[in-house]
Amino acid sequence: MRLRGAASLFLTGSLLLGCNGSTGSAAPPPPAPVGGAVITAQNTTFDRGQLNVPAGRPFQLLFENREGAPHNVTIYDDGGQSLFVGETFGGPGSRTYEVPAIPAGSHKFRCDVHPQMSGTVTAG
Amino acid sequence: MATLQMATRAHPRLGSHVSRAVVVGFTLATAAIHASLGGMMFLANAVGYTTLALAMVAPGPIGQIRWLVRLALMGFTAMTIGGWLLFGARFPLAYLDKAIEVALIAVLAFELWRTDGGPIGVARKAQRLLGRLAGLRTARTPR
Repeated sequence: MRLRGAASLFLTGSLLLGCNGSTGSAAPPPPAPVGGAVITAQNTTFDRGQLNVPAGRPFQLLFENREGAPHNVTIYDDGGQSLFVGETFGGPGSRTYEVPAIPAGSHKFRCDVHPQMSGTVTAG
Repeated sequence: MATLQMATRAHPRLGSHVSRAVVVGFTLATAAIHASLGGMMFLANAVGYTTLALAMVAPGPIGQIRWLVRLALMGFTAMTIGGWLLFGARFPLAYLDKAIEVALIAVLAFELWRTDGGPIGVARKAQRLLGRLAGLRTARTPR
């Protein structure tokens, strides 16, 4: 019986931890690096579904993770090959990714931990 | 594993309690990791693990089919590892979680062998359960 009570308590705690990982702040995203882009993750969602980046030259991508859940940003070409894989980390925190040159055109980006968090990268 | 085997040989009941506590501990650890990842899929996985951890210690009728709970937990864990191998992201917490899950399967296999008589013992238990269920159905069918 005591074991069952402890397990129920654990489940409740785990679910609360899972649901309340976000900081809950609605602060505006930080400024984008010069010639680069910025994106924020909160409540298992990116703050934008579109990123505009330069084509054919390296750029910086500032990624701010505002919740405890781990996230990253990975850019894929049309064939599903990764052009860039950003480090996965739990927040709150931020990383400035050094993204190598990617070809002009429209590509996909997503969080590898939560593939439903996705969008389009337009390099031009 | 060697410690578990020694404990089992020295004190069969103590060994059983220790191995079950290890199973529940590993199961709750991986449930907590999945719950911390956010998103419905991971939350559902955490609920699945927690439910199975509860079933591992629940008294009464569930105690009679603990072998089936062990089997279900092994299958659930194997499916979770398979899903990660196919679609999962590679990052340090994920590797730690997979290590826990592999260890969990190893302890469950050890328990299954020692307590349930291995695959043949489990097959016999499954056959008996199916026979009982079929008997119940026959008894309930109106003539």
